[in-house]
Amino acid sequence: MAYLMTHSLLGAWLRSMKENPFEEGDDPEKETPMQEFLHVLRREKTPTSPAMQSGIDFEDLVTAILTGQPNANYHSTSKDGTQTLKVYAVPEHPWFNAASRVAEQIQGAKLQLVAKKPIVIEGMEFLLYGRLDALKEGRIFDIKYSGSYERGKFIESTQHPMYYKLVPEIMNFTYIISNGYDVWTEVYWFDQIPRIEPVIRDFIQWLQEVNLLETYKQYWGAKDER
Amino acid sequence: MIKKPEDFDLGEKKIRMLLAGPPGIGKSTLAMSAPAPLLIDTDGGFDRVEFMYRKDRLVATSYQEMLDDLQPQNLKDYQTLVIDTAGKMQAYMSAWAIANDAKNGQRGGALSQRGYGAIKREFNRLIDYMFVTLQKNIIVICHSVEEKEDDVVKQRLKLEGGFKNDVWEPMDLGGFIEIQGKDRVLSLANTEKHFGKCTHGLKPAYLIPDLSAGGENRFLTDLFAEYNAVNAAEARQIEEAKAFYRAAMDGGRMLISQVKDADTANETFPLLGKLEHRLTSEREIKAEWVMKMNELGLIFDKASGKYVQGVKA
Repeated sequence: MAYLMTHSLLGAWLRSMKENPFEEGDDPEKETPMQEFLHVLRREKTPTSPAMQSGIDFEDLVTAILTGQPNANYHSTSKDGTQTLKVYAVPEHPWFNAASRVAEQIQGAKLQLVAKKPIVIEGMEFLLYGRLDALKEGRIFDIKYSGSYERGKFIESTQHPMYYKLVPEIMNFTYIISNGYDVWTEVYWFDQIPRIEPVIRDFIQWLQEVNLLETYKQYWGAKDER
Repeated sequence: MIKKPEDFDLGEKKIRMLLAGPPGIGKSTLAMSAPAPLLIDTDGGFDRVEFMYRKDRLVATSYQEMLDDLQPQNLKDYQTLVIDTAGKMQAYMSAWAIANDAKNGQRGGALSQRGYGAIKREFNRLIDYMFVTLQKNIIVICHSVEEKEDDVVKQRLKLEGGFKNDVWEPMDLGGFIEIQGKDRVLSLANTEKHFGKCTHGLKPAYLIPDLSAGGENRFLTDLFAEYNAVNAAEARQIEEAKAFYRAAMDGGRMLISQVKDADTANETFPLLGKLEHRLTSEREIKAEWVMKMNELGLIFDKASGKYVQGVKA
């Protein structure tokens, strides 16, 4: 039996390990990183946050530009966190210029291609799984929306190591980051990308130590996903 | 001039580099080791360069004054323009942007959101002008500050707002000068402590020669030569790989275009396996094949090992 492994799961785990995972922040209603990780581990649906919604809207707008769709969504968020949906004709969308620059970079790419790869780590079988935002000419592009981007944000991400393992024939992995107005890139060449296997090994050892390995096995079986 | 991909030659490419580090670590002196440099001395850093390593400098007290001096006839003797520092340049540019259009500023003299946009565009225009029009190497010097995050002391550029991201975009190379033991090291790699920008093939870190006993200050001249040699070789390899890639994609697409039904799919499928693939062509052609099968409503029958007509998508 193989088990699914995704960069989102590893990322949620690493975020929960960064600080005291059980320490509550200033906002008692906000979940701790450990609570967030446990939702991911149990594959529980969680509400879409405003930041996640902006990411979805931005990516949809890029796709709309690439595929010639007439309209695209825009969720504005008020100070109390309430979201309001507006539908814009694509050229009128507030993020149109930035999204066009992103679309230009990935023009002609295969979009949302799924990549899978079976691997064995310390006798345990895994099926690595990833969905590529865009693949073209030996490059993977991943579109990120970030309202507070600072260069180097993705250095420690598990995404480029995971995707390089999935698609080892790439030259580089490029994050295209936008806040809806500006566009930046972070490029990781194949020889700068660390291996994902040590992270997976550490993750499994940690799950064992905290008695969560069975939970992982319960929710992440890959029987039907090969 | 139209050039073929095989004519690609980066041997004489000019280089745009970001050089960062804490004050007093020797950024200006290191910048003077680039080929025929002119120091655009916006923050008076010239005094900190040891006398024997000093070179010509452009002294400007405003951004407009600097632009007025940056004319081709003044720059014939120089191969490298060194902006020292980006932080001071940002301050000059901000004042210039606000003077040009009051909407670029707020009360109190700070930049407005629109002003940040204006200096970002101006910075990119300036770098393009120096690089494309003047054909110079460019070194942008930037002070760094330490920030502690998750018990790791990180080096960050000491710049205002989004400019700390924007300044990286046009750069070919970039790194931080660090002290490691008794040595100074130029680190071009992405590490947990800082971001870098390094072309494929260069080393992630270089020991900076100790000039205390004298010696020629030519570290960046050598690094630029190495960059160009590595980059030219790399560019040829990439172009070769891309030529194979394009041939595989063209060949694969031609085969896929011939598929009209199950019979032609079964005739064509084995031919796809004979294509010589490079980079991601195999994966991309496979995706186009699957799309075509879906369009025609063909499914793969495992028992017979052949495509058969299924339910049309």
